[in-house]
Amino acid sequence: MGQKVNIALVDKTKDKLSNMVLEAKRKLENCFYVDLRVTVREGQGAVAQDGMMKSSIRDYGLSYGLRVIAGKQILAAGYFSQTLGAADTDKLSGIIGDGLDQAYERAIASSKIKSERKSHWQALGQSLHSTELAPIEICQDTIPGNYKINPVEVPLGEVNGLARDVSKAVASYDPRVKLNQIGIQTSLIRELFVSSEGTAIDRTHALTQGLCVVVAIGNSGVQQMHYDCLGHQRGWEILTDGFDEDLMQSKPLTGFALDLASDCVSLSEAKPCPSSGKEVVVVTDPHYNTLLVHEIIGHPTELDRALKLETAYAGRSWFFRNLKENMLGKQVASPLVSAYSDPLLQGYGHYEYDDEGTPVKRVMHIDKGIFCGFMNSRQTAAILGASPNGHFKAIDASFVPLIRMSTTAFGNGERDPKGIISEVDHGYYLVGHRIPSISESRENFRITARKVFEIRNGQLGEMFRDGGMMGNTKDYLMSVDAVGNDLRIRSIFNCGKGQPMQAKKLGNGGPTIRACARLVGGAK
Amino acid sequence: MKELRELEQSVEGAIAFLKTQPEIKSAQVFASANNRLWTRLNYTSHIPCNGLEEPKSTDDYGIGIQIVLDSPDGTMVGFGSEERDLSLEGVKLALEKAKQGAIIDPQFHCLPQATDEKRSLFEYHDPMIMGITNEGLIEAGWKALDGAIDSFLGSETLRGMASGKTLNDLGLIISGDLTILQERMAVSSYEMPDARSDESAFISACVTSMVEKGDAKGSGYSVYLKLKDLSGRAGSEAAQNAINSLNGIRLPSGDYPVILGPQPTAELLSHLIIPSCTTSAFYSRQSCFLGKLGKQVGSDILTVIDKGNARGLVGSKGITCEGLPTGETTLIKEGVLSGLLSQWYEYQRILNDPEAKEKLGVDPADFRQAMIPRNGFRYARGGGRNFGVLPTASATNIVFESPSSVDLHTLVNGIQKGILVGRLWYTYPVNGLRAGDFTGTLTADSYFIEDGRIKAPIKVNTLRINDNVGNILMGVRGVTKDTRPTVLWAADEIVYAPIGLMVDKVHFDQIAEFMDETY
Repeated sequence: MGQKVNIALVDKTKDKLSNMVLEAKRKLENCFYVDLRVTVREGQGAVAQDGMMKSSIRDYGLSYGLRVIAGKQILAAGYFSQTLGAADTDKLSGIIGDGLDQAYERAIASSKIKSERKSHWQALGQSLHSTELAPIEICQDTIPGNYKINPVEVPLGEVNGLARDVSKAVASYDPRVKLNQIGIQTSLIRELFVSSEGTAIDRTHALTQGLCVVVAIGNSGVQQMHYDCLGHQRGWEILTDGFDEDLMQSKPLTGFALDLASDCVSLSEAKPCPSSGKEVVVVTDPHYNTLLVHEIIGHPTELDRALKLETAYAGRSWFFRNLKENMLGKQVASPLVSAYSDPLLQGYGHYEYDDEGTPVKRVMHIDKGIFCGFMNSRQTAAILGASPNGHFKAIDASFVPLIRMSTTAFGNGERDPKGIISEVDHGYYLVGHRIPSISESRENFRITARKVFEIRNGQLGEMFRDGGMMGNTKDYLMSVDAVGNDLRIRSIFNCGKGQPMQAKKLGNGGPTIRACARLVGGAK
Repeated sequence: MKELRELEQSVEGAIAFLKTQPEIKSAQVFASANNRLWTRLNYTSHIPCNGLEEPKSTDDYGIGIQIVLDSPDGTMVGFGSEERDLSLEGVKLALEKAKQGAIIDPQFHCLPQATDEKRSLFEYHDPMIMGITNEGLIEAGWKALDGAIDSFLGSETLRGMASGKTLNDLGLIISGDLTILQERMAVSSYEMPDARSDESAFISACVTSMVEKGDAKGSGYSVYLKLKDLSGRAGSEAAQNAINSLNGIRLPSGDYPVILGPQPTAELLSHLIIPSCTTSAFYSRQSCFLGKLGKQVGSDILTVIDKGNARGLVGSKGITCEGLPTGETTLIKEGVLSGLLSQWYEYQRILNDPEAKEKLGVDPADFRQAMIPRNGFRYARGGGRNFGVLPTASATNIVFESPSSVDLHTLVNGIQKGILVGRLWYTYPVNGLRAGDFTGTLTADSYFIEDGRIKAPIKVNTLRINDNVGNILMGVRGVTKDTRPTVLWAADEIVYAPIGLMVDKVHFDQIAEFMDETY
């Protein structure tokens, strides 16, 4: 039986679907705009635990999502999406046609009530506006995937074998390793976006990931659990050979997992991290800063948060109170600090057009300490009077896009990282990120590190476990007094946002940074 | 949405077909249909907005097959699924994937088998929720907004605060969602050949409101098992709570006695305690209760039960996604860790684990009843019982009981200087689950208590808790009798949390002082 759901399905259907969207906008009464996203996925994966196979699957996925903006007096949006299967491939346009009717019906119903409430809510009805999209360049483009070994051509037995072999290697690394789990996935994903404005983007990308979890228990009974992710928009080769690109490097999966095991075992014999009670000098490495920039720069520079759309969920942004009171053009960090989001950088955060067909560009968030802008969507850009920059993304077509990070990073500095440490009389060096907790508008953070080293007289000293740093975002950023020249980009595999929650893959990174914050250990 | 009978026929037909395949020793077939509808709310009085931001839905149906095969190297087990095809063709596609992915898992013992327990919950959902229309969905979302707007418009406090300007300048925010979940499932297997099925539906409304000019935030939430009960209550409650939080104060860092409201209690349960109360967390040595089954882990006035089969509770189900009856699992009884949530595979694995005694702290053979697999669910994609995944242990309704429960007023009266925590944010086990250390910030609905009275609201985002879950559980000094169903973002379970849970000492750090000078 041949596989009916494969990425070639897009070749067979994209012209018809593109015409359907154009036609729908023409035919539906009071319809202002229609867009359609289709995702086709072919992939395989395996999980091994302590050298034993736990699961293995080769599968496909197909989904679509529709947005219709319509209304008589005031425009509103309606959405409809479904996940589909092999039985649907021959009747795709009919199914999507029915979905269009549903999305249109929702838009019209919402528009009608919005119009009523605009008058019934007295003065508070004034801010209800007609849904608007900022203009974009209309593009048609086809983008092929970038891989050496096609993920779908790797035998499933080879995928299983790698997961099992790496897990066995970790299990036999040291008797203090009590549990390990190696999860592998490798996929080919094709995404089609067509709109009633004539945009048609057909993008294929590979996605390959190795996720490692290690639990170790030291001789004194201390438990340590750590995880790390090796991932890229590349083929199977990244797991067997690793990769060495300008800003991204990784060992093959075996070496990557054994490094994690080594850290975990060492930490299970380490003392708990002390708490400083007051601010101390902290030097953070690129791995730690991957999560730091994600939480304190990436999230608060999402314009949907700034405009309060995430107040109930992911939170707001301290960079923006309202259209008059905000940090735009103001100093929020040391002049040594720059930060940006750039979808053109390689890695999980790479793409050329976002999920509403906007051609992407680098967005500077902080330029030499001055706050200068947000990631946006067409709808949020229209509210701010900004130009769309291509950050409206969903995890697949069945989810409504949100403003998401592409690759958000601290800019590179000029200092040698070793020199940054050698200048410290007393402080701490935080290596590798672990778990974050960030306040609602991202004005304060506590993020734990995998390893914490004491620095004395410019030298690394004792290593501690279960520690991290806590700080007020602006105070921390203003205190930065050294930025390294070792910028690295890493893969974040599980950034949660939205209702329903979308766990998205994206890129983050930074160089070594020295600043001040409180060192925080455990509560016991 | 597919009817229950179609799902039942599909799993029965699938089992009949699989039994004609000689290489298959055993199989379980699960079919489901889910519909999730949301209206996302976003109203801002000071920024152009849509009010009702996203009326949307996702639906799915399909079939998942887990098979056990003989092979020269040993018993193999595989899982495959197919979307939107309940026919024999769909079964064959799912089977092909299951065979292709079959592996030898030495820790696999058998597919789920009947336990001694009997199903006790039937026909417990409201058919009206199953039939909601697009117009009904959208009207329900606007109704939640109406509740908040009416509270704002009717507030003397806000009118006084606006002092001649419009209320719009106060930065009024209404955010959240109304979620409708409709789910149907059927399951059959070689071991349990009669198709077992279940059908459930509920509505939840979660709203956060703000008067941003006054840094005041309030929450409101409601859950509904009947469509006729749906109201704008969550919106009005959130708006009123925001108004009540105006003129918030800062408190210095330190240790305070605390009363946790329903949301913070649910937050601690969902992020720390429930994940630690599963057989898989003990197997993998990640529970903060490692080695403590049957031992004191909390105050002796604390009892926590997972009630999966209680009529009238929102998270109840008739059967699990493994076809087994749901039921009650007492997790903590008068402070003693008494039970763990489990699904079939993990139940078998811990019973056969040679290191289980060390991990649990007791011989698993003596504690079988504490780990009965009543919680194997296939939740995915923001709710619904998904045919495309295998079961994991999930909580249903987490209910608090106490032999010496009191009312909230009595708890407040007993505090000289303390904090009523109404909402916690981003509460995570920052040093891993095992260590139990956690942190999170107070983001709404919180008040300073002085001399046994509520003295003043606490300004949002100015205090961070840094403590350990073990300290919290052992420090519980009072539990209210009244509870409230609480829904957390992205959580599967419903926590019927006490209105107040008093803890004798919790550490707080004052944070974000720079914000006082920022706007």
